[in-house]
Amino acid sequence: MRRILYRETHSTRAAVATVAGLLVMVLAAYGMLEAGVHAIGQPAWLIEPQVAAERIVALPAGISPALLGVIGAVLAMAGLFFLLNALLPGRRARHVLDGRYGGQAVEQVPGLEEPPAVRGNGPVVVVDDEVIASALARSARLAANVTPEQVMVVVSRHQVIVNVRPTSGVPVDESSVLAAVQEELGEMALIPAPDARINVSTSGVIGA
Amino acid sequence: MNSTPTLLNRILIGILGLMLLAVGLLLMLLASVPAVATWWHSWAGSVWNGINRAFDSTRFPGRPESWLWLVVAFALLVLIGLMVAWIAQQGKGKNNLLAAEYDPGTVAGDVMIGGGVAEQALKHALAGRPDLAGATVVTYDVQGSPALKVRLQPRQGVAPHLLAAEVAALVDALDAVVGKRTPVLIHIGAGARTRFSRAERVR
Repeated sequence: MRRILYRETHSTRAAVATVAGLLVMVLAAYGMLEAGVHAIGQPAWLIEPQVAAERIVALPAGISPALLGVIGAVLAMAGLFFLLNALLPGRRARHVLDGRYGGQAVEQVPGLEEPPAVRGNGPVVVVDDEVIASALARSARLAANVTPEQVMVVVSRHQVIVNVRPTSGVPVDESSVLAAVQEELGEMALIPAPDARINVSTSGVIGA
Repeated sequence: MNSTPTLLNRILIGILGLMLLAVGLLLMLLASVPAVATWWHSWAGSVWNGINRAFDSTRFPGRPESWLWLVVAFALLVLIGLMVAWIAQQGKGKNNLLAAEYDPGTVAGDVMIGGGVAEQALKHALAGRPDLAGATVVTYDVQGSPALKVRLQPRQGVAPHLLAAEVAALVDALDAVVGKRTPVLIHIGAGARTRFSRAERVR
C-alpha cells in the first residue's frame, strides 16, 4: 500500500521513458541499417560510417562554429531535460488524507477473513490540491460571508494561503475565517499538514 | 498504481540524459575553446586509429569488409529489442479479476469474481450523487494481488474528507459482498469537468 501511495503522489515518467526509448530506437535503427549495408558491401544510404567518423574526429573544422555550438546547446538541453526528469522527486500537487476511513466499519462486517485493523485497513485517500483549495474556499467564504469570487485559496505542499477581498463597508473578521479554515484542515488531517495563512486585502469589492 | 518500473525508468532516462548532456557540452566546447579542439584531435584520432585497426584485423577472408559490422548491426538490433521491451512495460498492470480462490464446499471448484463486479457496483452506487461530476473505478494488479482504484471528480467546494468517508462505507459494503478485503485507493481529483461545472451548494 505504501508503494501505491508513492505511485499516486509522484508523477509518472512513463511518457518521458517512451520518448527516450523511441529516440534510442530510431538512432539504433539507423546505425543498424548503415552497419548492415556496409557489412554486405553495398553503398551507404546517407553517409559512409568511416567518412562520418573521420569528420567527427576533425570536428571543429568543416562546420561553422556557430552551428556546432547551437547543435551542442540543443543536445545539452535535451540531456538536461532527461537528467532532471530522472533526478528530481517529481511530486504531484496532491495530499494524502490520514487513512482511517472504514476502520470502524470493518469490525461490524461479518464474514471477513482478515482481522479488522484499527487504522489504515480502510481505503487510502489521495486528494488533489485543487479539491482541497475549493473546499477550503467554501468554508472561508461561509465564515467571511462573501461571494465565491471574493475568496481565492492557494494550496501548496506545506502552506495554505487564503486571500479574501471583503465587501466594501462590511468588515471581515480575520480570526473567525482563519478558525473556520483551520477547523476544516483539521478535519481533513492532511499528510503533510500545511499551515494556514490569511490575507484580507485592504481594498474592498463594491456591490457584491 | 500500475506496474510501471519507476526505478528502471529513472536509471535509463538518467543515463540517456547524461550522455546527451556530455555530447552537447563537448560540442559547445569544441565550437568555442581552441584548446579543447587540439585535445579532441589527439584523443579522438588515437581512438579512431584503434577502431580502424580492429576492423582491419577482422576482415572476411578474401573480402574487404569486416565481420565486425555484422556484430555492430546485431548489437544494435538487441538494443532495439530491449527498448521495445522497456516501452512495453509502461503503464501495464490493469487486471480484471477481483478474487480467485479454491472453494472445497459441496461442489468443489474454483471461484472467481471479475473486477467488473466491483467496478459496476461502485459506479452504480456513485452515479446518482449530485456532488460528483464523474467517477471511474479500475481494477489493478499490484504485486500479484488485485486492488481497486476509485477516481472521483467532485464538484467545487465538496469537502474531500466527508466524501472519502462515504465512499469508504460503500467500499466496506462491497467487501462484505465479495467476502474478501480488497485494497482500495480513492483518488479525489480535479479536472475540466469539475472546473467548468456549477458549484455544489447544497452540502
